[in-house]
Amino acid sequence: MKAEPQPADIKAAQDVIASFQKARKSLRMYPSNNPIYVRTIEDVFRRLDNILEIGPLELGVRQNEILFGDTPVYAASGMEDNLAFFFFKDGLREISFKSGLTLEETREFLEAISQDSGMDEDIVTLLWEKDLEHIKYVIDENFLLEDETYETEAVLHAREETTPEEDLKRAHSEAFSSSTPMSAPEIVPLSSADFEELMREVRLDSADKLIKLISILFDILSDCQPALYPEVAGIIKSALEHSIRKGDLSSALGIFSAMDAVPPEGPVSDLLKKEMKKVQAHASSLELVKELGAHLDSGQIRDEEMLIDYVRRLDSSAIASLIAVLGDLKTMEARKTIMNALAFLGSKDLNALAKGLSDPRWYVVRNIIHIFRKMEDRRCVDFVIKASRHSDVRVRIEVIRALGELGGQGVIQTVRDALDDSEFSVRSSAARALGMLKTEPSRMILMQHMAGKDFMQADFNEKKEFFEVLSGWNSPESEAYMIKCLRAGSLFHKGRTDELKACAAYALGLMGAKNALPLLHKLRDSKNKTISDYAFNAIKRIEYGN
Amino acid sequence: METKEPEQDRPFRDLVSQLAVVIRTSQLHNPANEAVVTAIEKMIPLINGLLEDESSIQVELVGEYFYVNENRVKFTMEHLLNFDFLQKEFAKRSVGSISFLCPVAVENIQNFLSVFIACQYAPDPYEALVAGLAQEKCIDPGVVRRISVDGEHDLRRAVKKTYFNAVSFTKGVMNKLKAGERVNIKKAKRIVESMVDLLLDREEFLLGMTAIKNYDEYTFHHSVNVSILSVALGQKIGLSKKDLMELGLAALFHDIGKTEIPPLILNKPTSFTDEEWNVLKGHPVHGVRMIFRMKSFDDSSIRAAIVAYEHHMHQDHSGYPGIKKLKDLDLYSRIVSLADQYDGMTSSRVYARVPMTPDKALSLMSKRAGVQLDPLLFKFFINLVGVYPIGSLIMLDTRELAVISGVNNGDFQRPKMILITDGEGNKITPVAASLTEKDGLGRYTRNVMRTLDPVKYKINIAEYLL
Ligand SMILES: [Fe+2]
Ligand SMILES: [Fe+2]
Repeated sequence: MKAEPQPADIKAAQDVIASFQKARKSLRMYPSNNPIYVRTIEDVFRRLDNILEIGPLELGVRQNEILFGDTPVYAASGMEDNLAFFFFKDGLREISFKSGLTLEETREFLEAISQDSGMDEDIVTLLWEKDLEHIKYVIDENFLLEDETYETEAVLHAREETTPEEDLKRAHSEAFSSSTPMSAPEIVPLSSADFEELMREVRLDSADKLIKLISILFDILSDCQPALYPEVAGIIKSALEHSIRKGDLSSALGIFSAMDAVPPEGPVSDLLKKEMKKVQAHASSLELVKELGAHLDSGQIRDEEMLIDYVRRLDSSAIASLIAVLGDLKTMEARKTIMNALAFLGSKDLNALAKGLSDPRWYVVRNIIHIFRKMEDRRCVDFVIKASRHSDVRVRIEVIRALGELGGQGVIQTVRDALDDSEFSVRSSAARALGMLKTEPSRMILMQHMAGKDFMQADFNEKKEFFEVLSGWNSPESEAYMIKCLRAGSLFHKGRTDELKACAAYALGLMGAKNALPLLHKLRDSKNKTISDYAFNAIKRIEYGN
Repeated sequence: METKEPEQDRPFRDLVSQLAVVIRTSQLHNPANEAVVTAIEKMIPLINGLLEDESSIQVELVGEYFYVNENRVKFTMEHLLNFDFLQKEFAKRSVGSISFLCPVAVENIQNFLSVFIACQYAPDPYEALVAGLAQEKCIDPGVVRRISVDGEHDLRRAVKKTYFNAVSFTKGVMNKLKAGERVNIKKAKRIVESMVDLLLDREEFLLGMTAIKNYDEYTFHHSVNVSILSVALGQKIGLSKKDLMELGLAALFHDIGKTEIPPLILNKPTSFTDEEWNVLKGHPVHGVRMIFRMKSFDDSSIRAAIVAYEHHMHQDHSGYPGIKKLKDLDLYSRIVSLADQYDGMTSSRVYARVPMTPDKALSLMSKRAGVQLDPLLFKFFINLVGVYPIGSLIMLDTRELAVISGVNNGDFQRPKMILITDGEGNKITPVAASLTEKDGLGRYTRNVMRTLDPVKYKINIAEYLL
């Protein structure tokens, strides 16, 4: 490239670097299949491609500047997002793009510079591994230099004793007088069968290394001094963390099954078990459970059975972690899986699970109640009841549903109270819950409520629903009550009474109450359209079963 | 927008691969044979297709890589056999490149093949090839691109610098670990990367550094030597650059557990008691611990830990540590075991042991192949170091003595050497020569009669190789 860059080139170089910076942001923000991600790379490629038509693009790197010729085309200060320093810190001093650069190479380059510079990675290693043909770089050699005097001293020492002439002479004469045969093995030329065998071996070897390391670590543990237990267990802990961060549940499970092999008795075993407990505690920590959640959300972990297998290995502190994570999950699938996991762990420690009921997020509370509900364990009732006065109606509905399904003496009072809830949906759930319980007391509570003044004031749908629930008992008492309703006549509240008649007709129909037929036929001719319609439908249902 | 597919160098790779197939087939059959013609017919569209966009196509061998029109051809394992074969065929004839200048037909390639096959028996194969192809306007051979004397000098200096830097780095790492200080693993990777680069560039220079065994500090040199030998073997079996780095790193740290062995035992000049042996045998386990003290969990530390643990285990599990459930040794462990045994046997270690000559070491290893050592990898290993590995002292039929200094890719039986005496056994100013040199009648100028033990005669190899 020309010694004196043209102004237009400078502008283009500036733009390219600006596009690198933009790309670093986008690539970090979006997954690689996102259109923005793809477009960003194409944009940088187009810019580079245009420049490279004229000649290679060579950039100098200083601590806080990137140079094109002698002209700074990028400047920054501080460490934050400083592209110049990002290259500089690893010893990179010059970077050049050659014509022939491909889109693929551009992508690899941008992905390399968009890495969060982790502890063990550096940009030079990343570029080296990618081995990009059209992107070259120059490194400051001193960057790697350890001890400059070492070479000089080692060479001096190695060459110190020059071979004495007389020794050479002696070697020569002895060599030609001796007849010791050659010991060198013969070289067998490599055949295509060797190459095929090699490929097979290499393929076989690509199996998971982590699993192997895990078994090595447990081998070490079974054989080493107790003084080393903490350190080796610490490595196992890191191995577990590593596998969870990668979403590799089977390796994590491998660790737990290896733990089972730890001998169950003896003083040594106690020490060992203590260390293993630490590993388990780490697996149960919020930090790692969060990782698990993220992998569930992203779909990396799909196998629910395996996940449950894994979760059953965690200690009860995992319950709090799972609850915390539950509220942050984005996908339905992930939530469902975590809830199943919680149901499993929670059944062994209801108190820990119940702590989730004080979570500030209403949906978490509802999820916890849902879990209790699905446990079908009456011991859950006491916990569920605690949330019956929750400020969010959606929680209260779930509470009542859960109580209805869990059943037992303990639920009655709470359900009865819910019949007076300010929200219709809660009252209706309470009625259904009573229906679920289907006991005499619950029927009586329901009928009592229906006989009350407030019920008369309720709107038609609510009434209809309550009658429908009552029809579920199909008992003489409910039938009698409904027939009574059909007969009722009132000068006052005529509208309300008519609503009751219609609802009673509907419910008798559901019950298939033949005794009610004469009355229903009568009401068939009612002037009130609603009553006559409901009576007609009920008759049809009773007589023809539909 | 036109998106270039990542497989864009595919036609180049296919061409190199097919050229190998064509040459190999024509070594078995005459160029008019149907099998040869079929192979040629497969290659012609590759050449002519590329010629649509380019005025000529040049297939060139530089160092360990093939280039097509200056584009380095990356290859994967499936191509290893063909690439390896073609490399040797080029080297045998001192051919650096073959260019196709215009679209070719079957007859052009057949002409080329008959000359190419025949010329290897000529005293100067390359000259014979050029003469034989004088009439062939479309196909043009080229010489091996030699690095200039200056370039070679620079390269040798870079090799030395890299080698000793790696040794002093290893020393630093081991001392830091002993002192419980943090170790910069980034730097370790970078040092291995520079070794990989040098091996890919001119393998023999860095390999030559491992042949000098009389350094002061065995453990550090040994670590670097094992790393170099492992990477060189890894390269022979077609591992990618990234894999080579992981292998080199694992090999560099294979004995890192020795930092936990008391120096009194480690440097003991006499042989070990049983108890001392047991302490020493703990170094693979300590190695695993040390790896994870240095480095967080990732693919490369996992592999390094496995290698540190398994490098004395032996393929047949006759070594240590003993384990309950037998598992196959990791590929890298098997590679490092070979390199480790070879370097260990040929080094003068602190404890009362005399180093073995390289050929003795190889013959002992060949007995272990299939028992302790992986026989297939050993085959590749011996093809790497040759029958007379670098550093061997040899006696020639001209009654001269010489030190082997490098491998000839075309002929493993005939490496490069440095003559150190005349026919009477008088010490001379060292002269570079090659066992492949022939006289005017096509006979080899020098042949090896046997190897000698330099230690026995106090011959300092380093004097000639450094
Ligand atoms: Fe070792
Ligand atoms: Fe070793």
